[in-house]
Amino acid sequence: MGHADRSTDRSDDDRSSATWTEAFAADPEIGDDLAAVDWAATPLGPPKDWPQSLLTAVRILLSSRFSMWMAWGPDLTFFCNAAYRRDTLGRKYPWALGRPASEVWSEIWSDVRPRVDRVLASGEATWDEALLLFPERSGYREETYHTFSYSPLHDDDGAVVGLLCVVSEDTERVIGARRMATLRDLGSDPTVVRTESETLAFFGRQLERNLADLPFTLTYLLGDDGARLSCTSGIPPGHPAAPPLLSPEQAERPWPWADLTDGTPVLVPLDAGVAAGLPTGDWPEPPQQALLLPLLQPGGSPHGFLVTALNRYRALDEGYQGFLELVAGHLAAGIGSARAYRDQQRRAEELAELDRAKTTFFSNISHEFRTPLALISGPVQELKEQLPDAPARVREELEAIHRNALRLGKLVNTLLDFSRIEAGRMQASYEPVDLGAVTAELASVFRSAIDRAGLTLTVDCPALDRPVHIDRDMWEKVILNLLSNALKFTFDGSIRVTVREEADRAVVTVQDTGVGIPAHELPRLFERFHRVGGVRARSHEGSGIGLALVRELVALHGGTITADSGPELGTCFTVRLPFGSAHLPADAVRASSQTRAASTVAVPFVQEALRWLPADTGTSVHDKAGTGTASPRSGSGSGAPVRARVLVADDNTDMREYLVRILDGAGYETEAVSDGRAALCAARSHPPDLIVSDVMMPMMDGLSLVRALRSDTRTASVPVLLLSARAGQEAAIEGLTAGADDYLVKPFAAAELLARVRANVELAHLRTHHVRWRTALVDSLQEALLVMDEDGVVLETNTAFTTLLGHDSAILPCAPPHPWWPDAAADPEARRAVADAFAELLRQGRGNHTLPLIHRDGRRLWVRAAFNDAHDPDTGRRMIVGTFRDITAERYAAQRESALAALSTALAETASVDEALTTALGQFQHLWQAEYVLTALFPADEPPALTVTGPLSWKDLPAPRQQVIEKLQHHPPLSPVCEGTGAGVLLEHPDGPLALWIELGAARRFSGQDELLLALLAGHLAQALARTHQIDQQRDTALTLQRAILGPSQLPAGFAARYEPATPPLEIGGDWYDVISLPDDRTGIVVGDCVGRGLEAAAVMGQLRSACRALFLQDPSPARTLMALDHFAGGIPGAFCTTVFCGVLDPHTGTLTYSSAGHPPSVLALPDGTTRLLEGGRGLPLAVRPGRERSDTVCQLPARSTLLLYTDGLVERRHQVLDQGIQVAGEALQTGRDLPPSELADHVMAALAPAGGYEDDVALLLYRHPAPLQIAFPAESGQLATTRGALRDWLTRCELPVRTALDILIATGEACANAVEHAHRDSPGGTIRLNAEILTDRVHVTVADSGTWKTGEPDPSSLRGRGIGIMHALSSHVTVTPGPSGTSVEMHTRIP
Amino acid sequence: MTSAPLTLAPGRTADGTALLTATGEIDMSNSRRLADALDHLTGHVVVDLTGVEYLDSAGLNVLFARAERIELIADALLRPLLTVSGLADLVPVRRPAPDGR
Repeated sequence: MGHADRSTDRSDDDRSSATWTEAFAADPEIGDDLAAVDWAATPLGPPKDWPQSLLTAVRILLSSRFSMWMAWGPDLTFFCNAAYRRDTLGRKYPWALGRPASEVWSEIWSDVRPRVDRVLASGEATWDEALLLFPERSGYREETYHTFSYSPLHDDDGAVVGLLCVVSEDTERVIGARRMATLRDLGSDPTVVRTESETLAFFGRQLERNLADLPFTLTYLLGDDGARLSCTSGIPPGHPAAPPLLSPEQAERPWPWADLTDGTPVLVPLDAGVAAGLPTGDWPEPPQQALLLPLLQPGGSPHGFLVTALNRYRALDEGYQGFLELVAGHLAAGIGSARAYRDQQRRAEELAELDRAKTTFFSNISHEFRTPLALISGPVQELKEQLPDAPARVREELEAIHRNALRLGKLVNTLLDFSRIEAGRMQASYEPVDLGAVTAELASVFRSAIDRAGLTLTVDCPALDRPVHIDRDMWEKVILNLLSNALKFTFDGSIRVTVREEADRAVVTVQDTGVGIPAHELPRLFERFHRVGGVRARSHEGSGIGLALVRELVALHGGTITADSGPELGTCFTVRLPFGSAHLPADAVRASSQTRAASTVAVPFVQEALRWLPADTGTSVHDKAGTGTASPRSGSGSGAPVRARVLVADDNTDMREYLVRILDGAGYETEAVSDGRAALCAARSHPPDLIVSDVMMPMMDGLSLVRALRSDTRTASVPVLLLSARAGQEAAIEGLTAGADDYLVKPFAAAELLARVRANVELAHLRTHHVRWRTALVDSLQEALLVMDEDGVVLETNTAFTTLLGHDSAILPCAPPHPWWPDAAADPEARRAVADAFAELLRQGRGNHTLPLIHRDGRRLWVRAAFNDAHDPDTGRRMIVGTFRDITAERYAAQRESALAALSTALAETASVDEALTTALGQFQHLWQAEYVLTALFPADEPPALTVTGPLSWKDLPAPRQQVIEKLQHHPPLSPVCEGTGAGVLLEHPDGPLALWIELGAARRFSGQDELLLALLAGHLAQALARTHQIDQQRDTALTLQRAILGPSQLPAGFAARYEPATPPLEIGGDWYDVISLPDDRTGIVVGDCVGRGLEAAAVMGQLRSACRALFLQDPSPARTLMALDHFAGGIPGAFCTTVFCGVLDPHTGTLTYSSAGHPPSVLALPDGTTRLLEGGRGLPLAVRPGRERSDTVCQLPARSTLLLYTDGLVERRHQVLDQGIQVAGEALQTGRDLPPSELADHVMAALAPAGGYEDDVALLLYRHPAPLQIAFPAESGQLATTRGALRDWLTRCELPVRTALDILIATGEACANAVEHAHRDSPGGTIRLNAEILTDRVHVTVADSGTWKTGEPDPSSLRGRGIGIMHALSSHVTVTPGPSGTSVEMHTRIP
Repeated sequence: MTSAPLTLAPGRTADGTALLTATGEIDMSNSRRLADALDHLTGHVVVDLTGVEYLDSAGLNVLFARAERIELIADALLRPLLTVSGLADLVPVRRPAPDGR
C-alpha cells in the first residue's frame, strides 16, 4: 500500500519575518552584526526564508552564555555568539559571520575537518578534550587548547544540515597547569636545605621538564669576576649563547645584564646577533625572544640573573611574565636559603665555641682567684700575729690588706655562687632548722654595726611550730645581704627583723626606715648588676649583684622574695619559704646537724658594713663609679634586625620579666605567659615568630609544649628556643628531639640569648618565606586543593577551592561529613556516591572519583577529584592531599548530548502534539529528577490548560508559582527563567505560547548549565511540536473524513463494528463497512477495502460506499450490486481492485445471501464451538473484469451463532499466510462467544492486534443471530399479552428448549406485571422497556420502568411478593436495581 | 385495552365433579375472569390447565385463594411453576388423561 506524501511547505511570510528578527534579537549586539551580513549572497538566502529549525538554532546560539559557534547549510555558513567572540574569535569578528566555516578557520581546518565530516556523515556528536590548536586570532600563531563537542543540527525534516560546536577554551587551564607543575616541582621539597650547588642542580633538572614555557634557561650568579653560568636547562653546555663567564666588560653580548640594575626584567630579541642555532624547546621553531630576570635577594644586591627563552606561540602577557618572575623568585629564594643556611651553620659554630670558652672561664675562676686570695689573706693574718708590737702604721696597713682581701674574697664568692647557680651546680644541703633562732642569730651579728650607726635593731624572731629546711650557708648570705643592704640605705630610725608563720609558709621580713626605692626601680631591684641610681647611700660601692643573689638563693629554697618600698618610706623585704622538704631536691636534704655559730661568711659582711660607718671613713675605699648606672643593654650586633614577635613562657616571674626586658631592649615585640598551656593557646591564636620557653613549668612543661606545637599545622613551623637549668649533652638532645629548634642552658648571658634569638628568628623568617611561598603557590593553583588528615578532617584549602565550592578557610578544621556533600534527604543517591568514595578514600588513602558536590549557594557541581596520601614532614602524620577540578561544564556538555539524543529518539516515535508533549515532559522529569514538570497554555478567559507529569492541577499550585508561570508568557521564547527551586521557558506551541515549568523541589536550584540544557531541549521540543502538529492536522482531517463516510454511526441491534486506523504515522486507509436497512425488513451488509492510504483512499472509499448503498437499495441482490459496482469502480481512479463483501440478511430467519468481490472469507462462529468460513459467492475484486457474472450464495445463520466480517488488516501479517490469521480470528471469536457483540468486537480487535499496533487499517463488523429484542410499551396490563407474544416469537428464533423458553416467558411476565402494577399505579401510561439478548450460553432480559416502586420489601405472601418469588425461582440470577428515575429488573437464564 | 386470550369452559368430570377448563393465557389482565368463573361454581372444582400456555402470579393468586375447593389438572410444562409457587403443596395436581381430558 502506498504512502501519503507529507508536505512540509510553509509560506507564511509574516510569521517568518517576525521569527527571524526575534531570533536575532536574542543578542542585540551580535544580532545587529548578523543582520548586517549579506545573507542573500550565501547559500542560506535571506533570513525571512530560513527554516524554523535554523531560526531555533540561531536563537539558542545567541541566547546562550556559553561559548558556541554553529555552521549551517552546504557551505557550513558560520554563526557564533558573544561568548565565542570574546573567548575565541578575537579579531576575526565580525568578518567571520556568514562566511564558510572552512574559511573562518582555514588555519586549523585540517584539524577540524575530520570531525565536521564525521558529524555530518554519521549524525553523531564528537567530543574532544583540550585539543591543541594554533589559530591566528591575535596576529600570531597561538598555542591554544580547546575542549569542544560538535553535535549535528537537523533541519525541519530531520536531516543533518549543520553542526553546533560548544566550546570551552582550556588554554588558560592547560598552560596554567603546566606552569604550576613547574612551580610545584621547583618547590617540591622545600624542607630539605641543600648546598648552593645542589640547589642549582635541582632547579636545572626541574626547569628542563617544561621546555614549552622555558625552551631554554641560563642562570648566572654574580661574583667578583663577573657573572658565572651556574645552571642551565634545555641548552647543551658550551653553546655560544651560554658563555660560562660574563666578565664585567662583557655586559651587553650576548646578554645585556648590565641593564638589570633597577630590578626590572629585560626583554631581549633573539636575533642572529645573540647566537645561531638556538634550541627550540618543545616547539618546531626556535624562540624569538628571551627575558632576563634578576635573582633578587631581599634588601641586598641580586644574586645574579636568569635568562629564559620565551615560547614564541604565547604572548608575554601578565600571566607568562608572572610565572617567569615566580621561577626567578624561587631560584633567588633557593639560593638565598642555601647561603643563609651556610651562614647559619657558621654562626652556630661560633656560638658553641663562645659557650665552651665561658664555661671554661667560670670553672677556672675559683682556682685562679681564690688561690691568690688565699695566698694574700693567709700571710697577712700571720704577719698580724707575728708583729703584735709593730708600729701602729704597719698594723693599720696590715689591717687594710686583710680587710680588702676579705672583701675581694666575698665578691669572688658571690660571683662564684652566681655562676654555680646559673650552671645548676650549686651544692646545696638543706636541713631542718628553727628559722627564728637561726635568723635571730644572724641578725645579732650585725647588732654592733647597727648600734654604731645610731640605729635601733629590733629582732622579733619567735620559734616557729615547724622547722624550715634551709642551707645554712645560703641562708646566711640571704639575711646578711638584706641587713647589709638595710644598713647601707638607712640613716635614721630602725631596722627590724621578724619571723612569722603564714599559712603554710615561713615569712621573714627585714624592714628599714631608710631612703626607700622609687616605684619605677622596684621591678628591676633584683636584676643582676642593676643598681638603684640617684639615691643617698652610705656607700657607692657595690656590684649590683647582692639582691640578685638573694633572690636566686631564696628561689633555690623554693621561696620567694618581694620588696615593698617608697621614697622616704623605708623598704621592707619579705622572704617566704615553704615548710617541709617536698619542694627540694631529695638528694640535697639532710637531717639536722649541730647548730653552729655564724660562720666566717658573716665576717666580710660586717667588716664591709663597718667601713661605711663614720668611724671608718678614713679607711673606706670609695668606688669610682658614679651614681648613674645602667643595666647591660644588648650589644649592637645582637639587635633585632627585623620586627619579630617573641613569646616568652616561664613560670618564674622574675625570669620571665628578665627575658622580656632583654628582648624588649633588643627591639623585639614580646608577649609573656607563665606556663606551657598558656603558651600553646597564645601561639595558636596568633603564632609568634619565636617562642622562648623554660623547660620546667607547671601545667605543661617545655617539652610537652614543643610536641603540642609541632602536632598542630598552625604552629608546627614556629621555632622554639628552650631554656633549661640542666646542662649537658643529654638534656639538649632531649629538647631537640622533642622538636625544639635551639637549646640554651641557664645561666646564660643576655648577649648569648639575643644571639640565639636573632639566629632563630632569621631562620624562621627564611622558613616562613617558604611557607608564604607555598601558600602563594597553593593559592595560585587553578585546581581546588584540600589537605585532610587521616580521619578526613580538612585542614587546609586554597583560593581555588573557595572559588569552586564557596567555602573559605573559616570552616577549617572541618570534620566529615563536609558541607559540600549533597544533602542526604534531598539527593540520597548523590550523597551515597560521595560518602562511599570518601570512605574508600580514607581506607586507601588515594583515588580518583567524579563526584556531585554542592556549592555553598546550593548549586550542584560535578568535580573530578584526585586524592593521594602524603607524609607531613613536620608532624610525621599521614595526610591526604586532594585536588578538585570543576568538570561541571564538560559533564553537562556530555549530558546535553545524551539528553538531546534521548529526547530526539523519544520524540521521533510520537505522532501527535499531545503525545510529543507528554513524552518530552517525562524526559524532562527524568533528566532533572524533578518533582514535577508541567506545561501551560493560556486560553483567553479560561484557566490555563495544563499538561503535567503527575496528578496536579492549576489550583494546586501556590499563587507565587502561578504568577511566575503566567509571567513566562511575556518572556522571549527559549530563554529560560529561574525562580526559586524551579525554572521555566516559553516555547511555541501550535495552540499558542506554551509555558514550560520544571519544579526541582527540595531546595535544589537550576544552574547555568541547566538553563542552557533547558533552552536546547525546549528548542528541540518546539520543533517537534510544530512537526507533529502538521501530521496531526492531516491525520485529524483524514480521520474525520473517514469516520464520517466509512459507516453509519447507529447500527441495528445485534451488530457491532470497529474501525482502527493503522499505527501512526501511516494511519488512515480505504477500509469501510456499511449496514443498510432494506425496505423488506432485511438488512444489507457491506465490508470493503480499497487500495491506498490517506485522504485519497478515503475519498475513493466514500464514493464506493455511497454507490454500493444506492445500488443495494435499488436491487437488494448482493451479486447484482457487485456487478453494478464493477462498472462504477472502473470510472474512479484508485477504485480498481477494491475488495467488497456484500450480503443481505433476514434477521427473522437468519438467512444470509451474499457475494464476495475478492474479499477474504467471513467467519461464522457456531454455538457448539465450531467455526465455519463463508467461502461461497466468490468473484474477482472490483473492476478487474467488468461485466463478468457474479453469483449469490445463501447460508443459514443458526441461532446463537456470530458472523464476523472484516478487512484484511485484521488478519494479514507479514511472513504469515492469510489462513493462519483467519484461523486466529475464528479462535478469538470463539473464546469471546459468551460476550455481547460490542464487547466481542473489542475482544477480537485486541486479540489480533500485533505488538506494535495494526500496520494497516482494519474494519470489522459483527452480527450475532438473532439480534436482541427491544420493546417499549405503555404500562398497561392490556399490553402484556402483545409483549409476551413478541418475546415468545424471539425466544423461538433463539431455538431454546421449550421449558427454558417458558421459564423466561413467565419470569419476564412477572417483571412486566410488577412494573405495570407497582411502578405506574399512581401515574399510569409510563413506558416499560423490555430488552432481551441472547448469548451463546445464556439469555439476558432487562425490564425497566420509569415509575417508583413502593418503598419497603413487599410481603412475600402478598400478591406481588409471589411474583418476585417466581422470578427468582425461574431465573439463574435476578437483580432488581431501584433508582430515582425507575427500577430495572435484570434476569439471567442459563441455556442448558 | 386488550386482554390476553383466555377461554373458560365449565363442565363436569366423569365422576360428576364441577370442571373448569381454561385455554389460553392467564395474566393480570384476565385473572378476574378466572376468579369469577370459579366463584360461579359451587363446591369442589377441578380446574383443567392443560390448555394454558401462560400462567402468571395473578392467576396463581386466584387459585391460591380458592385452594380448599379446587384441584388441578396440569401438564409437565406448568408443573414446575405450580411447584415453585407452593400451590402444588396445597392443591392436588393431576396429569391430564392420555386422551387430553
